[in-house]
Amino acid sequence: MTIEQRSVDSVVVLDLSGRLVLGDGSGLLKDKINSVMFEGNKRLLLNLAGVTYMDSAGLGELIAANTTVTRQGGVVKVANLTKRVSDLLVITKVINVFDVHESEAEALKAFA
Amino acid sequence: MATESATSLVPRLQVEEPAGGRVVILDRRPFTIGRRSANDLVLMDPDVSRDHVEIVDHEGRLLLKDRGSRFGTFVNGFQVSEHQLEPNDRITFGRGGRTEIVFLSGEGASATLGGAGFGSDLRQIALLLEALRGMGSGRVLDEVLALVLDSAIEVSGAERGFIMLANPEGVLEMKLARAQGKFTLPQTGFAISRKIPDEVFQTGRVREVRDLRDLPVRADGTAADDHGQTIALGIRHILCTPLRLVRIVERQDKPADERNIGVLYLDSRERGKFLSGMARAALEAMASEAASAIENARLYRETQEKVRIEQELRTAAQIQQALLPPPHKLGAFFEAVGSSVPCRAVGGDFFEYFAPPDGGFAFALGDVAGKGPPAALLAAVLQGILTGQAYSAVEPFEVMTRINNALLARGVESRFATAFYGHLSPEGVLTYCNAGHNPPLVFGADGVRRLEVGGMIVGLIPFATYEQDKVQLSPGDVVVVFSDGVSEATNAAGEEFEEFRIREVVEPLRTDSIQDVQAALLRSVRNFSQGLIQSDDITVLVVGYRPQSPASS
Repeated sequence: MTIEQRSVDSVVVLDLSGRLVLGDGSGLLKDKINSVMFEGNKRLLLNLAGVTYMDSAGLGELIAANTTVTRQGGVVKVANLTKRVSDLLVITKVINVFDVHESEAEALKAFA
Repeated sequence: MATESATSLVPRLQVEEPAGGRVVILDRRPFTIGRRSANDLVLMDPDVSRDHVEIVDHEGRLLLKDRGSRFGTFVNGFQVSEHQLEPNDRITFGRGGRTEIVFLSGEGASATLGGAGFGSDLRQIALLLEALRGMGSGRVLDEVLALVLDSAIEVSGAERGFIMLANPEGVLEMKLARAQGKFTLPQTGFAISRKIPDEVFQTGRVREVRDLRDLPVRADGTAADDHGQTIALGIRHILCTPLRLVRIVERQDKPADERNIGVLYLDSRERGKFLSGMARAALEAMASEAASAIENARLYRETQEKVRIEQELRTAAQIQQALLPPPHKLGAFFEAVGSSVPCRAVGGDFFEYFAPPDGGFAFALGDVAGKGPPAALLAAVLQGILTGQAYSAVEPFEVMTRINNALLARGVESRFATAFYGHLSPEGVLTYCNAGHNPPLVFGADGVRRLEVGGMIVGLIPFATYEQDKVQLSPGDVVVVFSDGVSEATNAAGEEFEEFRIREVVEPLRTDSIQDVQAALLRSVRNFSQGLIQSDDITVLVVGYRPQSPASS
């Protein structure tokens, strides 16, 4: 798994790609979120377009990221869910925990 | 040792059995070996025949002769019917290799010391060498150290001695100090100068000081001071040899791996107390054998540590399997069969059956996020909470709500589980709650139904709400509950097993026994991902509604 960071206006966009699974880069997302929040950013967008696979541990990572940001008064949105990820969020019925958007542009508009 | 020294030149066998090791002296001819109690050496090993092999004198040498054994006699890995024994020959029996015998010849041991003609001190050393070689790897490090020290003290006539071993950073650490009479000295009270051990360790050369007070005070004036404490104790004579480890290499063009692992230090208050030159050489030879015995013991201890961890994991796996209910459950109106195969020693999946107070049959399957011991611990907790709830609450949504709250009350962060809980009444009403689990499938005459109603995964959000649904089962309907290890099993092409394959396997077998359904599904998953390592726990629970007559039998 890799995470690329960029900024669009006041929003920090994290481009996640690869496999979000146990052991393979687990903790990477957590570290990234922590450092982004530490720098004082309050608006995060997770772009999941490149996530090819996610298991339950990866789901845990995603949920933990969501919780961390929200607890610290931040706002996090997710966009570009692949079918794989979307299915998992639907089956586990946590899809409503996230603020999900079809595309990056839509999500950015929602921040405004 | 005086009594043993007389036998040190007698040929003997070092016997290594699963139960332990022992040395047997070849005190008669023929010397017979076998499982029958009349043999000179009795081996309780199923690969050893009742009368397996014997050792006889033959032209001044010893000859090993197979006595028509069933599984054969092997020397150094080759099957033999007759074999002239050489020192250190390894004798094994049949294919099992549970028992191993090493032939130790007194001649061989003394030959390494430079031939015959030594005095009794050297016989003792020869004996010690044999003991060290025979030790193999199965000894505790402290035992090895004590044996080396005691023998060295006894042979040299020193009053005390110690062994220092290098730690991973290459710094010498005191490991054991012993005194004449075979007792251990407190290490704090063992005042010595580190100068000589350090020097011997660095240079790899033996250092002998005949009289400490003869040491010249060097230009920098330090030497005498360094030894001051030692001299104060009246120590005058010191012998310090490196413990040099030599690994034999297989190819001649490669240099042998040689390194010092520590030092053996002996001292005495008597001036010029120690050995003759020849005996000193023998002590050095011993130090080298001691080094390999010590190293072996060290490696053994490390291996033991690994074995212990593996053993604990195996025990944990057994406990986990024991926590699961018996695979098969048969009731008046239902039949159930379940199994859980973790991808590691222990897993985060579980299933459970319950007999709630209203006379129904309840069942559950859960999958904790993650794998291995952390997931297994939480699975056990979850299973426990679930059991507690199932016997007091009847409504599935209520059970799940309580589980969610109970898990959150324990505050294990980002640890959660998907779970399915179903309650089947004798009338065939299945009330269920699905907490984020892959929808179980109900196979009936009219097709397949998915059990989706419930709520989110448990352990995530406090006071999450759960719903339940009721479906009416007809006699013969089969419910298949599975973990994602089934639906997400992958094949070599990277495809997943998916729900449609589960349907394909189960549908034609719907009217067969539930054991057949379960076995076919597991077999199918196994074949699908053949050759690949199982990457997730695979758990399947099959419940059949069989109100009239159970279909198994």
